Amino acid sequence: MTHNNPSFVSRRAALRTGGAIVAGGAVLAACGGSSDAGTIARIGSVPEIEKLETEHVSDVALLRTAMSVEKMVATMLTDGRMTSLAESNVQPFLSKYASAHETNMAVIAPLVTARGGQTVAEPNAKLMTSYGNNALELVEAGKTPGDVLNLMLGLESLAAATYQYFVSLTNEAALRADMMRLGASSSRRAAVAAQLIRGGTKGFVPGLNEKGEELTATLPTAFGALNAVQVFIGPLNDIGTRSPLSMETPSLNSILY
Amino acid sequence: MSRRRLIASLLAGGAVAATAPFLAGSVSAEESGPTTTAPPHRDAADNAALNAALDRESRMAATYAAAVAKTSGDDKAALLLIHDHHVAYAQALKGYLATDANPASSQPLAAPAASIAAIAQQMASLEEETVAIHTNSLASLRGINAAMLVASIITVEARHVAALNIVGGTSPIAAA
Repeated sequence: MTHNNPSFVSRRAALRTGGAIVAGGAVLAACGGSSDAGTIARIGSVPEIEKLETEHVSDVALLRTAMSVEKMVATMLTDGRMTSLAESNVQPFLSKYASAHETNMAVIAPLVTARGGQTVAEPNAKLMTSYGNNALELVEAGKTPGDVLNLMLGLESLAAATYQYFVSLTNEAALRADMMRLGASSSRRAAVAAQLIRGGTKGFVPGLNEKGEELTATLPTAFGALNAVQVFIGPLNDIGTRSPLSMETPSLNSILY
Repeated sequence: MSRRRLIASLLAGGAVAATAPFLAGSVSAEESGPTTTAPPHRDAADNAALNAALDRESRMAATYAAAVAKTSGDDKAALLLIHDHHVAYAQALKGYLATDANPASSQPLAAPAASIAAIAQQMASLEEETVAIHTNSLASLRGINAAMLVASIITVEARHVAALNIVGGTSPIAAA
């Protein structure tokens, strides 16, 4: 015996329902405007949020920022609070270092203009607010000639680290080499400043003093470090030590776009 | 219009209407995105330059090893520290190149001089050459990771130059 099991849904009904679903889907998709795609519907009046402009860290932005860092270092080295406190044997280094940073600005300027950017003649305002002004105030308050050398070493290490960091952000390979030539010159000056603080081959190697404090080393690390440069300057605190002042390389909020 | 055709066109129209917002979204995203091409993280075209750097660092380490054997006290400790730096550079480059690393030479670049001042002068000159080699290679390196590694080496080798020049008798103001 054959048993014919008739379907409860006829072909006609299935086609009609399917067509209605597809048509409904098309209408719903068309209603979802492109501008509101991905947002959740809200009830009530909500003010429009203006989106921040997206800024890209271009090679020009990095070069402009490098100019502002060079200017900041030159300005700090020639600041009256530094020059008035420096010992006579350190004065020529302050002048030579500041002059070298002004020269670096002249080297970078054509690289900026060749790429359609505007040159910079002012110190990096955000970095000055962040730690530059504070460093100079600490030197003045500390009244210790050794602080001049400590800050010199810190500033040259900072400039070298800035160029090394910028290599990771630079698109143009040739420009990375140009930046590292400037960075290497700052590295040399940092080594000389370290030798003025703790000279000879003994000063190459990191070490501790009798109190267990870290001594200045000409070669503190095997690879160039990108962490914040710490300088110990200013008046001694109640327990006879100095708090470190951290100086960071430019970041996204201090790059001149 | 037949019933079959009506259903077919209804299905096609629905599909187009449903995908239209997504297509429009992808076009606008392309228009607002950055126009520059980011450098690659790694590029096989860099291997020759990095192998040359590895060879140079290996030979620098061998030269320092010979110099360390001729010194004592703080001088020995200082030269040993720089020797270790160059060993670290060679290891880092070799690690980066991995299976693409060529065997590096362990032939010293010079025979060490007699006194610490003469050795320091000699090594400062070799360090200067090494910094120049790395900086020039940086101009052609395409991979950003390789460029970052070489840059971190240049930063410290530039310090080696200045420090050794001072020990070698150059005045600090001239070494800066």
